[in-house]
Amino acid sequence: MAFIELRGVVKSFGKSLVVKGLSMSVEKGEFVSFLGGSGCGKTTTLRMIAGFETPSAGSILIDGADVSAVRPNRRNLGMVFQNYALFPNMTVRRNIAFGLKIAGKRGDVLESRVDEMLELIHMGEFASRYPHQLSGGQQQRVALARAIAIEPRALLLDEPLSALDAKIRVALREDIRDIQRKLGITTIYVTHDQEEALSISDRVAVMKDGLIEQIGAPFEIYNRPATPYVASFIGTLNVMSARAIDPSAGKLAVEGQVLLASGPFEAKPGEELRLCIRPEALSLERGAAASDGASAEPNVLEGRVTKVKLLGSIVRLVVSLGGASVSMDGFNDPSRPVPGLGEKVRMRVRSEAILVTRPEEAPAVGAAIEDGGLAE
Amino acid sequence: MRRRAGLSWLWFSIGIVYFFLPLVATFLFSLRGKKGALSFAAYRNVFVDPQFLRTFGFSFEMALLTILAGLALIVPTAIWVQLKLPKAKPLFDVLTLLPFAIPPIILAFGLIRSYSRPPFALVSSPALLVAGYVIISFPYIYRAVDAGLRAMDLRGLSEAAQSLGAGWGGLLFRVVLPNLRTALLSATFLTLAIVVGELTLAVLLAWPAFGPYMAQKGRDYAYEPAALAIMSFALTWGSIGIIQALTRTGRDKGAGLNAGTH
Repeated sequence: MAFIELRGVVKSFGKSLVVKGLSMSVEKGEFVSFLGGSGCGKTTTLRMIAGFETPSAGSILIDGADVSAVRPNRRNLGMVFQNYALFPNMTVRRNIAFGLKIAGKRGDVLESRVDEMLELIHMGEFASRYPHQLSGGQQQRVALARAIAIEPRALLLDEPLSALDAKIRVALREDIRDIQRKLGITTIYVTHDQEEALSISDRVAVMKDGLIEQIGAPFEIYNRPATPYVASFIGTLNVMSARAIDPSAGKLAVEGQVLLASGPFEAKPGEELRLCIRPEALSLERGAAASDGASAEPNVLEGRVTKVKLLGSIVRLVVSLGGASVSMDGFNDPSRPVPGLGEKVRMRVRSEAILVTRPEEAPAVGAAIEDGGLAE
Repeated sequence: MRRRAGLSWLWFSIGIVYFFLPLVATFLFSLRGKKGALSFAAYRNVFVDPQFLRTFGFSFEMALLTILAGLALIVPTAIWVQLKLPKAKPLFDVLTLLPFAIPPIILAFGLIRSYSRPPFALVSSPALLVAGYVIISFPYIYRAVDAGLRAMDLRGLSEAAQSLGAGWGGLLFRVVLPNLRTALLSATFLTLAIVVGELTLAVLLAWPAFGPYMAQKGRDYAYEPAALAIMSFALTWGSIGIIQALTRTGRDKGAGLNAGTH
């Protein structure tokens, strides 16, 4: 039985429908992230689970019991907020002790639990400091310790790292995941940062317009996106105009160059389509001389390099196929020369990496929509 | 930079002179009670008058009751408006202007007419005077509390407290009020200053308050009213200082989690 279950949850604010009949479940001890752009309903869903918003319809079950009408202070769920929400009049120690005192803990039981939490977040030496005397990262650690000190049934985190610097964000998200694994606490994490969601979650729920577009393990979401939106939101994506040749054989053409998808797709021969390919699904065909025209070999695209971008360990080439442009990622290997600007190159495409969709379902045509470029 | 600092000091000095010159002049005048010499004769005369301490004590007591009643009524209301009824905020902003728009004499007659016969025959009860003072001090208390609430991320803190198991009581007494300390002190000081010197309500409701006493002294004597003004100023500020000291002591006592844990 699922530990947290959302059944057809709807939330509207006035005439605005923010969550549109969302259903999902989270297993005990699982780390699930809600990922999506602004206004997709991820925070509202989390706040409904926490009890700060009441569903307009549907129900929320925790451990088999319907909590839709239970007040937030009766749900025993730990919550970490984007802006930390530490009590400014209390020291670190008193902040962590707050929930324990409310629960009636006193004396040694209280003290030892607070010490345990301080040790867990490595902040024993900061126990007597006030929130304003701490950095953002330290404040969020305290907020995390405060939330888990009460031994909640589940931990809810609402974009906890979005106000922090990039380096601290990476370090803290690892800490959050380590602590979650150590305690085995069921966790729901809201973020708009796909890298964050993919790196720490057991499962990621990609949300759009108040519904879950796809839910699955990070590898599944990235490698087998169910919809063009998921493909474009997660990672980087090339979107090109294509034309169906033989849909039953998965055959289509881009700028006169033939591609074979891994299976058939629904279209009529000659119909205009959209082709989505990740930059890392293309690889440079070395040692093969590029022809003057288009490639005759299926799944090999020929074009001319128009841009070379060094992204640290990755080199991104932007290749013009005539009317279309495509980005291709390769490792920055010093032993292998990088094609120069204007050079003709051949790129091989893996069939299983080809995603074919109708124009109205696809993101706008363009080379490499980078990292959730459709989010806003 | 230097010029700007010089200008700042100039304006500061003008402000100091503007506020303190009348006080210094009143003080100097109050020392002329004895012909041909500076003396504290006027102060002595005030002190030997038993009415002085009696009326000041009464007004101080009414001020404390007004502060308690006003805070008990207005703080939860302001929190509720901020958290649950933000759309009602403009209405409250208008309501806070009413005590300025309606003269105290109208308020006093309204109270007398409404509460002079059963079932609410309260005209001879000090509760009616306190109620009137709460109305007069409403704008000051509400505005101070509202500013304090807006400065503290009330929504975030209340949600954090609730997620940790706190009910409304826990939220109010453990989180909101300690963080509203400065705002509450401002509200307290303003109310105290207003009530101790208030004249109209006290006269019309016939209570032996400090305001009417000062007015009567002003009519009958020359130097004593100046001495009274200085003394009431000192007493009010002294009281404010005591309240602040007491509140600070209370907060420091409450700062410990458990004895010996820090």
